[in-house]
Amino acid sequence: MKYLYLVFVMMAAVYTSAHNHTMHDMDSHNHEGHLHDTMVDGKLLEVDPKRFDDFVAELEGKQVAVVSVSGMVCDFCARGIEKTFSKDKSVLKLDVDLSGGKVLIAFDKDQIIDFEDIKKKILSNGQNATDLQIIKI
Amino acid sequence: MMESNNMQDSVYYHYSPSYKYSLGIQQIKDKYFNSNYSYLRLTYLLNRRNTKNSQRNLYLQSGLSSDGLDHYFYGTHGDWETRRLYAGFGYKKTMMETLDYIEQYLQVGVAPYIGEYGDLHTWLMFKAKKNDLTSDWDTYPVLKFFKGNALVEFGYSDTSNWDIHLMYRF
Repeated sequence: MKYLYLVFVMMAAVYTSAHNHTMHDMDSHNHEGHLHDTMVDGKLLEVDPKRFDDFVAELEGKQVAVVSVSGMVCDFCARGIEKTFSKDKSVLKLDVDLSGGKVLIAFDKDQIIDFEDIKKKILSNGQNATDLQIIKI
Repeated sequence: MMESNNMQDSVYYHYSPSYKYSLGIQQIKDKYFNSNYSYLRLTYLLNRRNTKNSQRNLYLQSGLSSDGLDHYFYGTHGDWETRRLYAGFGYKKTMMETLDYIEQYLQVGVAPYIGEYGDLHTWLMFKAKKNDLTSDWDTYPVLKFFKGNALVEFGYSDTSNWDIHLMYRF
Protein backbone atom coordinates (compact mmCIF):
# COMPACT_ATOMS: atom_id res chain seq x y z
CA MET A 1 0.00 0.00 0.00
CA LYS A 2 2.87 2.29 0.88
CA TYR A 3 4.39 1.68 -2.57
CA LEU A 4 1.06 2.37 -4.26
CA TYR A 5 0.83 5.67 -2.40
CA LEU A 6 4.39 6.51 -3.42
CA VAL A 7 3.64 5.75 -7.10
CA PHE A 8 0.49 7.88 -6.92
CA VAL A 9 2.40 10.81 -5.43
CA MET A 10 5.12 10.52 -8.09
CA MET A 11 2.56 10.40 -10.93
CA ALA A 12 0.79 13.43 -9.48
CA ALA A 13 4.11 15.28 -9.25
CA VAL A 14 4.98 14.44 -12.87
CA TYR A 15 1.51 15.53 -14.08
CA THR A 16 1.67 18.78 -12.09
CA SER A 17 5.14 19.51 -13.40
CA ALA A 18 4.08 18.91 -17.02
CA HIS A 19 0.94 20.99 -16.57
CA ASN A 20 2.86 23.87 -14.99
CA HIS A 21 5.39 23.72 -17.83
CA THR A 22 2.58 24.04 -20.37
CA MET A 23 1.07 26.96 -18.50
CA HIS A 24 4.48 28.57 -18.24
CA ASP A 25 4.98 28.25 -22.02
CA MET A 26 1.68 29.97 -22.66
CA ASP A 27 2.40 32.69 -20.11
CA SER A 28 5.86 33.30 -21.52
CA HIS A 29 4.32 34.46 -24.81
CA ASN A 30 1.71 36.59 -23.18
CA HIS A 31 3.32 39.98 -23.64
CA GLU A 32 0.87 42.77 -23.08
CA GLY A 33 -0.08 44.49 -26.31
CA HIS A 34 1.11 41.70 -28.59
CA LEU A 35 -1.98 40.65 -30.46
CA HIS A 36 -0.38 37.62 -32.02
CA ASP A 37 -1.14 35.74 -28.78
CA THR A 38 -4.84 36.36 -29.20
CA MET A 39 -7.29 33.46 -29.08
CA VAL A 40 -9.84 33.67 -31.91
CA ASP A 41 -12.88 31.40 -31.72
CA GLY A 42 -11.00 29.16 -29.32
CA LYS A 43 -7.94 28.90 -31.58
CA LEU A 44 -4.59 30.53 -30.95
CA LEU A 45 -3.71 32.94 -33.71
CA GLU A 46 -0.86 31.27 -35.59
CA VAL A 47 1.20 34.05 -37.10
CA ASP A 48 4.82 35.04 -37.10
CA PRO A 49 4.91 37.36 -34.05
CA LYS A 50 7.33 39.96 -35.40
CA ARG A 51 5.71 39.98 -38.82
CA PHE A 52 2.26 40.43 -37.31
CA ASP A 53 3.36 43.16 -34.89
CA ASP A 54 5.06 45.04 -37.73
CA PHE A 55 1.97 44.70 -39.90
CA VAL A 56 -0.45 46.08 -37.30
CA ALA A 57 1.90 48.81 -36.03
CA GLU A 58 -0.07 51.61 -37.70
CA LEU A 59 -3.48 49.98 -37.83
CA GLU A 60 -4.95 51.15 -34.54
CA GLY A 61 -8.74 50.93 -34.67
CA LYS A 62 -8.71 48.77 -37.82
CA GLN A 63 -9.32 45.05 -38.23
CA VAL A 64 -7.11 42.41 -39.76
CA ALA A 65 -8.21 39.28 -41.56
CA VAL A 66 -5.69 36.48 -41.06
CA VAL A 67 -6.34 34.06 -43.91
CA SER A 68 -4.81 30.57 -43.94
CA VAL A 69 -3.90 29.60 -47.49
CA SER A 70 -2.87 26.21 -48.84
CA GLY A 71 -0.66 25.83 -51.90
CA MET A 72 1.10 29.14 -51.30
CA VAL A 73 4.62 27.74 -51.54
CA CYS A 74 6.24 30.11 -54.01
CA ASP A 75 6.80 33.87 -53.93
CA PHE A 76 6.42 34.15 -57.69
CA CYS A 77 3.10 32.28 -57.59
CA ALA A 78 1.76 34.30 -54.66
CA ARG A 79 2.26 37.62 -56.46
CA GLY A 80 -1.20 37.32 -57.99
CA ILE A 81 -2.79 37.33 -54.53
CA GLU A 82 -1.32 40.75 -53.80
CA LYS A 83 -2.36 41.94 -57.26
CA THR A 84 -5.94 40.70 -56.85
CA PHE A 85 -6.49 42.28 -53.43
CA SER A 86 -4.83 45.53 -54.47
CA LYS A 87 -7.82 46.08 -56.77
CA ASP A 88 -10.18 45.93 -53.76
CA LYS A 89 -10.56 49.49 -52.44
CA SER A 90 -11.66 48.26 -49.01
CA VAL A 91 -8.24 46.67 -48.46
CA LEU A 92 -5.97 49.04 -46.55
CA LYS A 93 -2.85 46.89 -46.39
CA LEU A 94 -1.79 43.35 -47.25
CA ASP A 95 1.07 41.06 -46.33
CA VAL A 96 1.94 37.57 -47.54
CA ASP A 97 3.58 35.26 -44.99
CA LEU A 98 4.93 32.39 -47.08
CA SER A 99 6.45 30.53 -44.12
CA GLY A 100 3.23 30.59 -42.14
CA GLY A 101 0.95 30.10 -45.13
CA LYS A 102 -1.00 33.23 -44.15
CA VAL A 103 -2.24 36.32 -45.92
CA LEU A 104 -2.86 39.31 -43.66
CA ILE A 105 -5.42 41.80 -44.94
CA ALA A 106 -6.25 45.04 -43.13
CA PHE A 107 -9.71 46.59 -43.38
CA ASP A 108 -11.50 49.52 -41.75
CA LYS A 109 -13.19 48.59 -38.48
CA ASP A 110 -16.70 48.82 -40.01
CA GLN A 111 -15.94 46.83 -43.12
CA ILE A 112 -17.83 43.55 -43.36
CA ILE A 113 -15.31 40.83 -44.10
CA ASP A 114 -16.75 38.21 -46.40
CA PHE A 115 -14.79 34.95 -46.24
CA GLU A 116 -16.51 33.64 -49.38
CA ASP A 117 -15.28 36.67 -51.31
CA ILE A 118 -11.77 36.17 -49.92
CA LYS A 119 -11.91 32.49 -50.90
CA LYS A 120 -12.88 33.44 -54.46
CA LYS A 121 -10.06 35.95 -54.74
CA ILE A 122 -7.49 33.45 -53.44
CA LEU A 123 -8.84 30.72 -55.72
CA SER A 124 -8.65 33.02 -58.73
CA ASN A 125 -4.91 32.84 -58.18
CA GLY A 126 -4.95 29.06 -57.86
CA GLN A 127 -4.60 28.65 -54.09
CA ASN A 128 -7.19 27.70 -51.45
CA ALA A 129 -8.19 29.82 -48.46
CA THR A 130 -8.86 27.34 -45.67
CA ASP A 131 -9.47 29.44 -42.57
CA LEU A 132 -10.16 33.01 -41.50
CA GLN A 133 -9.52 34.74 -38.20
CA ILE A 134 -10.50 38.38 -37.70
CA ILE A 135 -8.58 40.50 -35.22
CA LYS A 136 -9.72 43.89 -34.01
CA ILE A 137 -6.67 46.06 -33.52
CA MET B 1 8.49 34.77 -71.28
CA MET B 2 11.72 34.35 -73.27
CA GLU B 3 13.57 31.12 -73.87
CA SER B 4 16.84 30.42 -75.62
CA ASN B 5 18.58 27.09 -76.15
CA ASN B 6 20.50 25.21 -78.82
CA MET B 7 17.29 24.49 -80.80
CA GLN B 8 15.40 27.76 -80.76
CA ASP B 9 14.92 31.26 -79.40
CA SER B 10 11.39 32.24 -78.50
CA VAL B 11 9.25 34.94 -76.96
CA TYR B 12 5.94 33.89 -75.45
CA TYR B 13 3.18 36.31 -74.42
CA HIS B 14 0.29 34.72 -72.64
CA TYR B 15 -2.79 35.73 -70.73
CA SER B 16 -4.61 33.71 -68.09
CA PRO B 17 -8.33 34.53 -67.92
CA SER B 18 -8.45 32.11 -64.97
CA TYR B 19 -5.91 30.01 -63.15
CA LYS B 20 -7.24 27.01 -65.08
CA TYR B 21 -5.92 27.98 -68.49
CA SER B 22 -3.89 30.44 -70.47
CA LEU B 23 -3.85 31.55 -74.09
CA GLY B 24 -0.85 32.99 -75.81
CA ILE B 25 1.28 33.62 -78.83
CA GLN B 26 4.81 32.23 -79.05
CA GLN B 27 7.14 33.64 -81.66
CA ILE B 28 9.95 31.26 -82.55
CA LYS B 29 13.26 31.51 -84.31
CA ASP B 30 13.93 27.87 -85.07
CA LYS B 31 17.70 27.30 -85.26
CA TYR B 32 17.48 23.63 -86.20
CA PHE B 33 15.16 24.13 -89.20
CA ASN B 34 16.39 27.65 -89.85
CA SER B 35 12.90 29.12 -89.98
CA ASN B 36 10.61 31.54 -88.16
CA TYR B 37 7.03 30.87 -87.17
CA SER B 38 4.50 31.42 -84.39
CA TYR B 39 2.36 29.17 -82.25
CA LEU B 40 -1.09 29.97 -80.96
CA ARG B 41 -0.87 28.18 -77.62
CA LEU B 42 -3.35 26.86 -75.09
CA THR B 43 -2.29 25.56 -71.70
CA TYR B 44 -4.84 23.90 -69.45
CA LEU B 45 -4.46 23.01 -65.77
CA LEU B 46 -5.71 19.44 -65.63
CA ASN B 47 -5.11 18.89 -61.94
CA ARG B 48 -3.82 20.86 -58.97
CA ARG B 49 -3.44 19.76 -55.39
CA ASN B 50 -2.74 22.39 -52.76
CA THR B 51 -1.64 21.47 -49.27
CA LYS B 52 -0.31 23.67 -46.49
CA ASN B 53 3.29 22.99 -47.52
CA SER B 54 3.15 21.93 -51.15
CA GLN B 55 1.54 22.36 -54.52
CA ARG B 56 1.29 19.80 -57.31
CA ASN B 57 0.24 20.64 -60.86
CA LEU B 58 -0.47 18.75 -64.05
CA TYR B 59 -0.96 20.70 -67.28
CA LEU B 60 -1.92 19.90 -70.84
CA GLN B 61 -0.35 22.07 -73.52
CA SER B 62 -0.97 22.49 -77.21
CA GLY B 63 -0.03 24.84 -80.01
CA LEU B 64 -0.99 25.45 -83.59
CA SER B 65 1.64 26.89 -85.91
CA SER B 66 1.31 29.83 -88.25
CA ASP B 67 2.85 27.50 -90.87
CA GLY B 68 -0.43 25.65 -91.27
CA LEU B 69 -2.64 22.93 -89.84
CA ASP B 70 -0.04 20.20 -90.35
CA HIS B 71 2.37 21.84 -87.91
CA TYR B 72 1.29 21.69 -84.27
CA PHE B 73 2.32 20.29 -80.90
CA TYR B 74 0.71 18.80 -77.85
CA GLY B 75 1.99 17.49 -74.57
CA THR B 76 1.90 17.61 -70.83
CA HIS B 77 4.02 19.03 -68.06
CA GLY B 78 3.79 18.90 -64.33
CA ASP B 79 5.51 19.88 -61.15
CA TRP B 80 5.47 19.38 -57.41
CA GLU B 81 7.07 21.83 -55.08
CA THR B 82 7.47 22.80 -51.49
CA ARG B 83 9.38 25.82 -50.30
CA ARG B 84 12.49 23.63 -50.18
CA LEU B 85 12.12 21.03 -52.94
CA TYR B 86 11.05 20.99 -56.56
CA ALA B 87 10.42 18.24 -59.10
CA GLY B 88 9.04 18.69 -62.58
CA PHE B 89 8.68 16.94 -65.91
CA GLY B 90 7.56 17.70 -69.44
CA TYR B 91 6.63 15.79 -72.57
CA LYS B 92 5.90 17.48 -75.89
CA LYS B 93 5.31 15.98 -79.32
CA THR B 94 5.65 18.26 -82.32
CA MET B 95 4.06 17.28 -85.62
CA MET B 96 5.39 18.87 -88.80
CA GLU B 97 4.71 18.30 -92.46
CA THR B 98 7.93 16.38 -92.97
CA LEU B 99 8.68 14.82 -89.59
CA ASP B 100 7.56 14.47 -85.97
CA TYR B 101 9.73 14.71 -82.88
CA ILE B 102 9.45 14.45 -79.12
CA GLU B 103 11.00 16.61 -76.41
CA GLN B 104 11.14 15.43 -72.81
CA TYR B 105 12.64 16.76 -69.62
CA LEU B 106 12.95 16.01 -65.94
CA GLN B 107 14.00 18.64 -63.44
CA VAL B 108 14.71 18.52 -59.72
CA GLY B 109 15.82 21.28 -57.40
CA VAL B 110 16.48 22.40 -53.88
CA ALA B 111 16.31 25.87 -52.37
CA PRO B 112 19.51 26.46 -50.38
CA TYR B 113 17.68 28.93 -48.12
CA ILE B 114 14.05 29.79 -47.50
CA GLY B 115 13.39 33.38 -48.45
CA GLU B 116 10.48 35.48 -47.33
CA TYR B 117 7.98 37.24 -49.56
CA GLY B 118 9.81 39.88 -51.56
CA ASP B 119 13.28 38.39 -51.04
CA LEU B 120 15.53 37.10 -53.78
CA HIS B 121 14.76 33.38 -54.07
CA THR B 122 17.34 30.91 -55.35
CA TRP B 123 17.04 27.34 -56.59
CA LEU B 124 19.86 24.91 -57.36
CA MET B 125 18.58 22.45 -59.92
CA PHE B 126 19.45 19.64 -62.29
CA LYS B 127 17.68 19.22 -65.58
CA ALA B 128 17.79 16.23 -67.90
CA LYS B 129 16.32 16.70 -71.35
CA LYS B 130 16.07 14.76 -74.55
CA ASN B 131 15.15 15.89 -78.02
CA ASP B 132 14.67 13.25 -80.72
CA LEU B 133 16.29 15.53 -83.27
CA THR B 134 19.62 15.93 -81.54
CA SER B 135 20.94 13.47 -79.00
CA ASP B 136 20.39 11.24 -76.03
CA TRP B 137 19.56 12.54 -72.60
CA ASP B 138 21.54 15.60 -71.66
CA THR B 139 21.86 16.41 -67.96
CA TYR B 140 23.12 19.73 -66.67
CA PRO B 141 22.93 22.10 -63.71
CA VAL B 142 20.43 24.95 -63.65
CA LEU B 143 20.33 28.05 -61.47
CA LYS B 144 16.98 29.72 -60.95
CA PHE B 145 16.42 33.10 -59.32
CA PHE B 146 13.27 35.09 -58.81
CA LYS B 147 12.35 38.26 -57.07
CA GLY B 148 9.04 40.05 -57.23
CA ASN B 149 7.53 39.54 -60.67
CA ALA B 150 10.77 38.57 -62.40
CA LEU B 151 12.27 35.11 -62.85
CA VAL B 152 15.50 34.02 -64.54
CA GLU B 153 16.77 30.49 -65.11
CA PHE B 154 20.18 29.55 -66.55
CA GLY B 155 21.39 26.12 -67.47
CA TYR B 156 24.52 25.08 -69.30
CA SER B 157 25.81 21.83 -70.76
CA ASP B 158 28.72 21.02 -73.06
CA THR B 159 26.33 19.27 -75.43
CA SER B 160 23.50 21.76 -75.80
CA ASN B 161 25.19 24.91 -74.46
CA TRP B 162 23.02 27.54 -72.82
CA ASP B 163 19.42 26.94 -71.79
CA ILE B 164 18.01 30.29 -70.67
CA HIS B 165 14.54 31.11 -69.46
CA LEU B 166 13.34 34.60 -68.52
CA MET B 167 9.87 35.44 -67.28
CA TYR B 168 8.08 38.55 -66.11
CA ARG B 169 4.57 38.64 -64.70
CA PHE B 170 2.58 41.78 -65.52
